[in-house]
Order: sequence, then C-alpha cells, then structure tokens
Amino acid sequence: MTPTQPAGPWSRRTFLRRTGGLAALGAFAAACGGNTGRPASGGGGGGGGSNTVLSQWYHQYGETGTKEAALKYAKAYDKAAVNVQWTPGDYASKLASGLLSDKGPDIFESQLNIAMVQSKQVVPLDDIISDVKDDFNANDITTNTVDGKLYGIRMIDDPQLIYYRKSLLDKAGLKPPTTIDELITAAKALTNKNMKGLYAGNDGGLAMGGPALYSSGGTYLTQDHKPNFTGERALQAYSKLHELYASKSMLLGAPTEWTDPGAFINELAAMQWIGLWAMPAILKKFGDDVGVMAFPKLDAQGKDAVYSGGWTQFVSAKSKNVEAAKKFVRWLWIDKTDFQEDWSLSYGFHIPPRKSLAAKAKKLQTGAAAEAVKLAADNGFTDNPAWTPKMGTAFGDMLTNIIKKGADPAAEAAKAKKTSQAELDRLFG
Amino acid sequence: MSAVTESSTADGTKTSTGKGRRRGIRGSSLAFWLFVGPFLVGLLVFGYVPIVWSLFLSFFDARNTVTPTDFVGLRNYADMLTDPNFLSSMVTFTVFAVFIVPLTFALSLGLALLVNGVRVARAFFRSVFFLPTACSYVVASLIWKLSIFNGVRFGLANTVLSWFGIENIAWLSTVNPPWYWIPLVTVRLWLQLGFYMILFIAGLQRIPTELYEAAYVDGAKPGWQVFRFITFPQLRATSIAVLLLNLIAAYQAFDEFYNLVGNVNYARPPLVYLYSVSLGSIQDLGRGSAGALILAVIIMILTLVQSRIFGFGKAD
Amino acid sequence: MATTTQPAVRTTGTPVPIGHSRGPMATVAKIARWAALLVTTLVFLVPFYLIVRNALSTDADITAPGWKVFPSALQWGNIAELFNDSEVPMARALWNSAVVGVLGTGGQLLLAAMAGYGLARIPHRAADKIFYLIVATLMIPAAVTFIPSFVLVSSLGWVSSLRGLIIPGLFSGFAAFLFRQYFINFPKELEEAARVDGLGYWRTFWLIVVPNSLPFCAAIAAITFIANWNAFLWPLVIGQDSSSWTVQVALSTFVTAQTINIHELFVAAGVSILPLVLIFVFLQRYLVQGVAETGIKG
Repeated sequence: MTPTQPAGPWSRRTFLRRTGGLAALGAFAAACGGNTGRPASGGGGGGGGSNTVLSQWYHQYGETGTKEAALKYAKAYDKAAVNVQWTPGDYASKLASGLLSDKGPDIFESQLNIAMVQSKQVVPLDDIISDVKDDFNANDITTNTVDGKLYGIRMIDDPQLIYYRKSLLDKAGLKPPTTIDELITAAKALTNKNMKGLYAGNDGGLAMGGPALYSSGGTYLTQDHKPNFTGERALQAYSKLHELYASKSMLLGAPTEWTDPGAFINELAAMQWIGLWAMPAILKKFGDDVGVMAFPKLDAQGKDAVYSGGWTQFVSAKSKNVEAAKKFVRWLWIDKTDFQEDWSLSYGFHIPPRKSLAAKAKKLQTGAAAEAVKLAADNGFTDNPAWTPKMGTAFGDMLTNIIKKGADPAAEAAKAKKTSQAELDRLFG
Repeated sequence: MSAVTESSTADGTKTSTGKGRRRGIRGSSLAFWLFVGPFLVGLLVFGYVPIVWSLFLSFFDARNTVTPTDFVGLRNYADMLTDPNFLSSMVTFTVFAVFIVPLTFALSLGLALLVNGVRVARAFFRSVFFLPTACSYVVASLIWKLSIFNGVRFGLANTVLSWFGIENIAWLSTVNPPWYWIPLVTVRLWLQLGFYMILFIAGLQRIPTELYEAAYVDGAKPGWQVFRFITFPQLRATSIAVLLLNLIAAYQAFDEFYNLVGNVNYARPPLVYLYSVSLGSIQDLGRGSAGALILAVIIMILTLVQSRIFGFGKAD
Repeated sequence: MATTTQPAVRTTGTPVPIGHSRGPMATVAKIARWAALLVTTLVFLVPFYLIVRNALSTDADITAPGWKVFPSALQWGNIAELFNDSEVPMARALWNSAVVGVLGTGGQLLLAAMAGYGLARIPHRAADKIFYLIVATLMIPAAVTFIPSFVLVSSLGWVSSLRGLIIPGLFSGFAAFLFRQYFINFPKELEEAARVDGLGYWRTFWLIVVPNSLPFCAAIAAITFIANWNAFLWPLVIGQDSSSWTVQVALSTFVTAQTINIHELFVAAGVSILPLVLIFVFLQRYLVQGVAETGIKG
C-alpha cells in the first residue's frame, strides 16, 4: 500500500491497483497459485489415514523450541492432518482478518470476549470438557464462560509480576516494595547512569494499568456489567502510575518490549514487569538473585494484584470441520497431559490450568517460580469476557493520557467510562 | 466479458486483411475492447466492487463480519464524526503535514539546487540522495527504531548526545516534549527527499538557458535574485506537483507510524486508526468503512480544490 | 554513473550564475556549496552504514556501552543464521518478493499499456466514460477499499497465495492514466505509415508503438518494481501463512516479534534492500526518468 513507498504518488496508486484485478486472468492465477507453497499437510501436519485437514494458529512464543513443540504435537495426532501456522508479529490483526474469511483457522489461541460469541466466531466446547471441568482452575473456567456456556479451553496461565534483583535492592538498603509508593521510591533509588529502576514497556507501563486498578480494590466491571474503573481510589492508582513515569526512573525506548526479558537480562533495568514465561531465561542469567512480587497495593486498604494472563484454545465457528477440530482440542489440551506439561514447563514457564498437572509441576515448586505461583494463587485476577477490546482500547487511551501526558485522571476516566457504557448498552442493553 | 474479448481477438486478426471502411469501423470497436477490456474488467472487479462493498458495510452494524444484516443507516458516520479518536487522528495528520510538507519541499528543492549546481560528480550526489528511495518504510523504521532513535545508551542519537553530556532520551516514548516527531519526520524525509529532488532537477533542466542569459543582460545578480525572479517562478508546475503529491502521501501515512510507535493515541494518523478499528482487535468494519469513506471525501475535496486553485493535473 | 541521462549541456539551472561571477564571494559560495553537499551525503549514508555495521556485529557489540564504529570481528556467520532461521523463512520471502515484483510489474505494464493505447488512439464512444472511471479511482484512498478488497480476495480463496498478492495489484488506474497521456503525445506519423502498410491496431501496437516506447515502459517498470518490492500493508494482510510472506512482511515480523535478535534483523534488512540497490546501480537512468514522468504527470 502506498503511503509506504517513497515513490509517493506512484505508490499511492499502487494501492489502488491492489483493488483492481481481473478474474478473466484465470490461467495466470492458476500459474501463480502453484507457487503458494501451502501443501495440504505441510507445516508440520501429517498423520496418516485421514483426509481431514485442520489449521491451527499460534502467536509467536518468544522461547526457543516452542514452534518445534507445536509442530511435534500436531504431527502426533492421527485422526486428522493439522497444519500449524506460527505467527510472528501482529497476531491480533492477522487473526481478525483470518476469521473474516473462510480460509482462516479451524483452531486458534486467543482470549475470549463477548463480542466473539455474539458475532458467532467461536463454538461452545462444554461437551469436550464436562468430565474434567472440576480439575480446571476455577478462574480459567469463568474467564471463558459467557451465558453459562464455555467457549475455550485454557492452555496456560501466565501470571504477570515484577521481577527484581535482590542484590540491587540490598545494596540500596531497601526491602521489596509493599505499596505503590514504596515501588516508586525503590525505582528511583535503583536508577543510575547505566540502569533504570523499572521497565514496564515502552508505552510507559500500560500493562500495569489493570493491576493498578485492582490494587486499589476496583475492577473493570461490576458483576452486573457496569463500569467500575472510575472510582476515587482507582483514579489515585492511575495518578501513581503517572508519578512513577514522571519520576524518570522507568526505562523507555528499549529495543525489546516488556514481554521479552531482554531489558532485565541486559541490565538496562533493575526491575521488570513481565510474565512467568520469562522465568527460565531470567534464572539462567541471575540465578538466586531474582525475586518476584505482585503489583503492590495502593495503600493499606488496597491489595496486591497479579494479572493472570494466558492463552486459550478456541474452535472457529467458520471451520468446515468443527467436530474434528473439537476432537483435536480435546486430545491436545485435555487428554495429552504429557504434551501439556511439556508446553508449560519445557520452554518458558506457565502454570498448567489443570490443578492435577499444576500440583505435579516440580519446576514451579522452588525458588522464584514457586513464589510466582503462590502470588498468582493468592492475588490473581483474570479477564472478564464482558470487557471487550473496544473498552480495553478506551482504557488504554485513558492510561496513556494520564500516565504520559499528565492529563486529569477524572476527566480521562469519564471519557473512557462513556465509551465503555455505550458498548455495554449495546451488548447487554 | 471474456466472450467479448475472444470474439474481438478473432476479429482483430482479420482486420489485418484491411478490407474496407465499414469493416474498419466495426473492427475498431472490437479492437477497442480488445485493448481496454481486460483492464476494465479488472478495474471493475478489484477496484469498484470493493468500493461499493465498503459503502454497503458503512450502513450496517458490521462487527466481526463482512456480510452484516443489521442496517443502521447513518449511525456509523455519526459515530465516526463524533469519535474523539478519529478526530484526533485528523489533528495528528495535520500536525504531521505541517512539518513534513514544507520541510520536504524546501529540502528537496535545496538538494536539487545543490546537486544541479556542481559540475563534477553530479551523478554521484544525485545517486546518493536518491538511493534511500530503494528502501522501504519497514527497513527504514527498523533502522530508526533500533539503531538511531532507541531510548537507551547504544542508540546513535543518544550516543552523540552523550558526547555532550546529555542524558539518554527515549525518542519514541516521550510525549512531553513530543520527541517522537523527530524520528517520524526524519524517516520520511530520508526516504522521500531524493524522489522529490529528482522532480525538481527535471524541472530545473527544463528552464531555458536563454532566460538566465536575458536576466544577466538586464543586470540581475546571480544567487538569490535569479532564483527569486527566474528559477522559482519557472518551477511553478513542479512545485505544485511536489506539494500536492506530498500532502496526499502524508494523508495516507501508515507504515512509519505502525512500525515506529504502533497504535498509540498521541501519534495515530487516520489510516492507523482505521486499521485498528477494522482489522485490529476491535473489528468494527461498519465504522471502519464509514471512517474510510469520510477520509476519501476529504482527500477528494482537497485534490479538487488544489487543482482548481493551481490548475494542477492538466496535460502539459 | 549515468551522466548521459540528462541533456545537461544544453539547459542547466543555476550553474550559470556561478561561472558568471568571480571574486571572494563566489569562492565562499562554492566552498559552502561543497560543504553542504558533503555533509548531506554523509547524513544520507548513515542508515546504510548502520545496516552493514549491525548486520556484521554480535548483539554484544551493538549494545555495548560506547559506540563501536566497526564490529570487533566481522560476523559473516550472521548471514547463514538468517537463512537458517525456521521462524522467518527469508529465502522464501525473497523468492516471493521477486515473483510478485516481476509478474506484478509485467502484468501491470501490459494491461495498462494496452488500455492506455486503446483509450488514446482507438475512437470509441465509451472511451471518455472509461477514462473518468479510471481517474476516479485515483482519488480514492487505500483505506476505503482495503477491507472489502481483502474480503473479496479471500472469498476467491486467494489469501496466503501469490495470486492474492499479485492479481489485485495488476489494474493500476494510475499506470493506465500515464500510458494514455503518453500515447496521446506519441507521433501519429509512425502509426499512419503502419496503417498504409495494412496493419490493424493490434499489430501496429506491437510492431510499431511498443518498440518505439521502450524507454518509457522501462521507466514505468522500474518504478513499479520498486513499489511492488516495498509494498507492505497489503502483503501483511494477505500473507497469513509464512510461506506467502514477502520480504517486507518478514522484516516487519522481526521488528514486532516478542523477542528481538538485533543483528539478524539487520542482516535481513540488508538482504532485503540489496536487490533494489543493484537495480539502482544498473537502471538508474530509467529510474530517474520514471520518477520524473510519474511525478509530474501524476
């Protein structure tokens, strides 16, 4: 598309050309088509004896070996050929456009929101989970349930926390922060010429917005679907995020995003906000020197907050093989416990959503990993499926304006509330 | 359509026997479709079908679907016209255009004059300035984001600043002051200056030498006077082309924003916002289409007004 | 390089004034001019330097405190590493970009040249209307039709395929517009001679008109190829499967990926611009002409 090209005028039209085309060039099309390199059972599919071909989409996991593992699982399935599509880059947009066409995935990982259910993108999966439902972490069931129906099978739980270097805190004469104010103090104290106190993303810490809200005692929405993120204490928490940002003790402009442990490992920051997945890489570099903590409570009346993110497996309603896709999901994410264990523990760390598996996960029972699991169990909160991306975007815009521009929290919150309310009216009104 | 194409092919070969006036006219109609038909069919299918489809979507509540059933009239248009994010994306564009259009104009003209003014190694300099045109916004954004304007100590910009004892600046993340404009503007300048420079050089070389000679005979001083009264007026057509192309290209900015700052509300031009509304996680195709059509109307008006004012686009 | 490109001898812009005056002022002006040229040249070359430097460094060198002007040891192995990366199939992406570039450019040129000729030279009552249809598409921005185009292409089953990348791009209103303008100014005498020899439109076009328009075609082709090679948003959305990624999409996935491998990224950047730099070196003459044509008449 054209704005892209330096050949400005020409390239603008290049895009227009893309909207031109000719069906009569069928022969030409066929000729090009031969080059697509999309063999029916390529990309790690295989599996003998069946004509069913399923397409399974993943986002790109950062840890080495994950792609090979996904391919290995797909290949081990013998009831259908499974094509794994591994998606570096902007997975959300690719998935969105993929789901519009009938050439999209049969099975995909994502997070549930009610709009997906209302626009019939996903099918209920109650029947494949019923016998083991009680073995799943209750939060992982709630987050995937809309109107009493369960739409996704949770694959992994990824609590997000603050990692810190014990030695650096010691040197500064500090204890791990227990309130937001202490966090700000610590971040300032740990900042020096070569290192910033805290890294929470180049956007200035939007990822900590939800945890800050929960640390003040708030939630995104109430049980009866009303906005609940604009209370007095919530606004205080947002202001604290701004204070943290304005203290010049946060790392900004790092080459890697907060989802990558690079900034922490390369000692660009003394603390980093990141998920459990990064634990192995961080332990490898710093060993026992690593500690984790929840996002600290706003004040004595608040509570520590851990966002339990993660990924969930869905079956696309547009799939031509819904039943076959459901069978595969059941097989991989419920029956094949050895694969689930492998996926949760062999690359990055994740908490298995199955209680029985989590209990067996030895690697999560010592040191910082065990701390993280405990924090998630005590303070974890998960996504509310009624909180749609549109509300999330409004919330993010609000945070950007408060954190980075220092805008008035009350006014910004009112704007976000209005957008969310309109969306809620549409969904539930 | 393909039937027409076939028959005209058959006929086209026959015309070569060239038999008489009547045949010629009939042959010419078929020949016309033979030449224009394939293109026209493609243009209708891939050009006009999507436009009409877009129009259709814009009147429906089309979330996560392109075959909506819930007609909402003009609501999507009303939503977009009152959507602060959409409006602020227009503001972002305007700010961007205010920087980029005059800068591109002045600098590319300056480069053209510089290059055109030397007698040796002219082709070399022209090549150097033109070479970035070979790079895509993706490549350039990558260099800018990771190697020149990253916020840490090993970025080139911060390294240079550190020689003067200035602290690291998080170029792309700082909104106060809005440093992010520096990478955003410079990346586009680097990529497109050479292109517009070529246009100006072509324009310069079309100026008849006699005009300069006449000017000197009349006692004009070389330098500013000659530029002011001869060169610049003679470049009028080129100048208008550069301004307009530049403005339209700026309106459609997407790549450097997408790759440098992503979808952030303080530096989000219209296309990035529409992309996020339609294809990002929100997937509201009805509002996305409405917004896109509003944008189209604005660009059309802009183009028409400009061509009315400047008489741009007339065949020369 | 291509010094012959321009009729520089006959008409020149500002050089006259410089030759005209002498004395200290002229010398100062001359020095200033050269200083400006050299400084600008250096600035323009910095990004290329960074590509080469970073591509041949270790990440440790790149991220080291204190700028390393050159890598402490040239890491030629980085290139092999790029092509062995299983997550981003770079060789495949290069191939795809080449196919899209060549077929897209060729097809577009063919269709647009024929349409332009037909509209310019064959009298027909629909000609004006069709011309307006073409011009109208020039004013509608990409975003308007982006989503429906995607849906259309995907309902044809062309997502993640080269046809999805190529075919919708073949029908350039702009190229057709340029060719029409060009053929309107094409000398009639040549065609009239062909007519006398009994050639129809078809053979006149191929035997007389095209062979006499090769420089113009080459100019348009060069610009089109670059635009195709550098296109981003459309390939980004169409190329869902990594086997159909173009170079730009592959590069972008590096930048937005969760984990970034800096040196590999820059090797990829270098590899992606190399073909175009070569085209620049060899086809500069046509490129310059192409830019001048497309820019002025656009």
